[in-house]
Amino acid sequence: MKHKIRTYIMLIIAYLVLAVPFKTMQVIPGFTDIRPVMMLGPVYALFYGLPGCIIFALMNLFMDAVSGELAWSSIAGLISNFAGPFLLFYYWNKISKTRPHLRSFGNILHYSATLIIVAVLEALIITPSVAFFYPDVDIKLFFITVVLNTALFPMFVGIPLTILLQEELGFKPIVLDRAEDKESDD
Amino acid sequence: MNSLQANICLLFVTLCWSTEVIIFACIPSTVPPFATTCITSLAGAALLVLSFYKRIVKELKRDKSKIIRHGALLGILNCTYNVLYLYGLKFFDVSSGAFTLSMTAVVLPVILLTVRQKVSVRTWISALMVFLGIIIALGSTANVGQVQGAVMIGIGCIVRAVYIIILNRYASEEDPVAISAFISGIVGILSAVLLFVTEPGGFASIPWNKQIIASLAIYSYFIVGFAQTLNIFAQKKSTPANATIIYSSEIIFSIIWGAVLPASIIDKTALSPWIILGMIMVVLGNIIEIIPSRKAAYDEA
Repeated sequence: MKHKIRTYIMLIIAYLVLAVPFKTMQVIPGFTDIRPVMMLGPVYALFYGLPGCIIFALMNLFMDAVSGELAWSSIAGLISNFAGPFLLFYYWNKISKTRPHLRSFGNILHYSATLIIVAVLEALIITPSVAFFYPDVDIKLFFITVVLNTALFPMFVGIPLTILLQEELGFKPIVLDRAEDKESDD
Repeated sequence: MNSLQANICLLFVTLCWSTEVIIFACIPSTVPPFATTCITSLAGAALLVLSFYKRIVKELKRDKSKIIRHGALLGILNCTYNVLYLYGLKFFDVSSGAFTLSMTAVVLPVILLTVRQKVSVRTWISALMVFLGIIIALGSTANVGQVQGAVMIGIGCIVRAVYIIILNRYASEEDPVAISAFISGIVGILSAVLLFVTEPGGFASIPWNKQIIASLAIYSYFIVGFAQTLNIFAQKKSTPANATIIYSSEIIFSIIWGAVLPASIIDKTALSPWIILGMIMVVLGNIIEIIPSRKAAYDEA
């Protein structure tokens, strides 16, 4: 239990370290919503399962609250930030016959495809609520921004991070019973 | 980590390095570069020590003097080539400067040859493609006034090539996390010395605010802590020549940033046909090097 609590605290700290500086600075003028923290969703899901998904979603809500961005649409944000990583976790454990080992081109492409699909699904969850509560927001741009943040950071930063954690730092992805430990799917 | 994963990690590290200009965009140009290097390197080293304290202490217990010696040598080489690049790049515009830095990919196989290390035919072809890319891109804009800068960058490329060869060797001998922490620490200390020599005011010229602290923090954990350590892990499964050719793709990322980002962040890059052709050659050189041969794929399977 003590170990689990320590792990969850580490997950929260990692989230804050990545999220807070990017909330503080405007990386590209006129384009505020750059969120590298989105790369942590799939990583938390793969290595920490359901608790990882919950922490990721709650931390996103917490950041909205402390940065004064809490709104009705944050509920949709909470749902999508839980649903996205959870769907990945579910897919790789219950549907896919292989693990996301990222050791072959085929597996990396397969993993990237799931990241893109999940990103679109997340955007489809959040966008209608933003359109409903904030009619002034450019919905197309919002949708694209959510998809790009949720797909590109996990692909371009999350994949190297996952490789590092899995191959060199001894982290083991959570594997449920139905997943077959097959080394290659290409 | 297999060689495909190592190549992906090296490509990601190169992408990270290319974002330096974006992360530092909110730091005024009056702030001395040695000040930012000093702060980010020391903060990166501290972060690695905090995160991997037990691992680093274990490495120190194994052979303290060796790891300090290796870290110091790499730190000094790293600092040297960065200083040469810093002053050499003042003679070039953004895109030309980026192309000159890629000369490391051409210099390195030659250095390997002089120390009688085997270089594959594939690497020679890749290096030749990168070299042609540089010549094509620079050919139309080069002038006599840039000779001094070119010499500085040329020496910088040689030092960097030596650094990569040594880093590649130490990556297998030392713990990558520990050596990364030591390199960052040494670079931080050397930068502090250089700062106080060149700018007696030291850190006084930094107008501290939330944005500057945030960008220094991001650089510290993202580029110094994460990318540098990942680079050393990837080097364990790579060769110096392979790594250098992948690093040469930094110019592609830099030119893309220069083309798509606003002028308030980066000097806009004028995409001439020669630069585009040069980029294509560098990309081809990279593809030849990155795609695993059938034999390598078979061996790893």
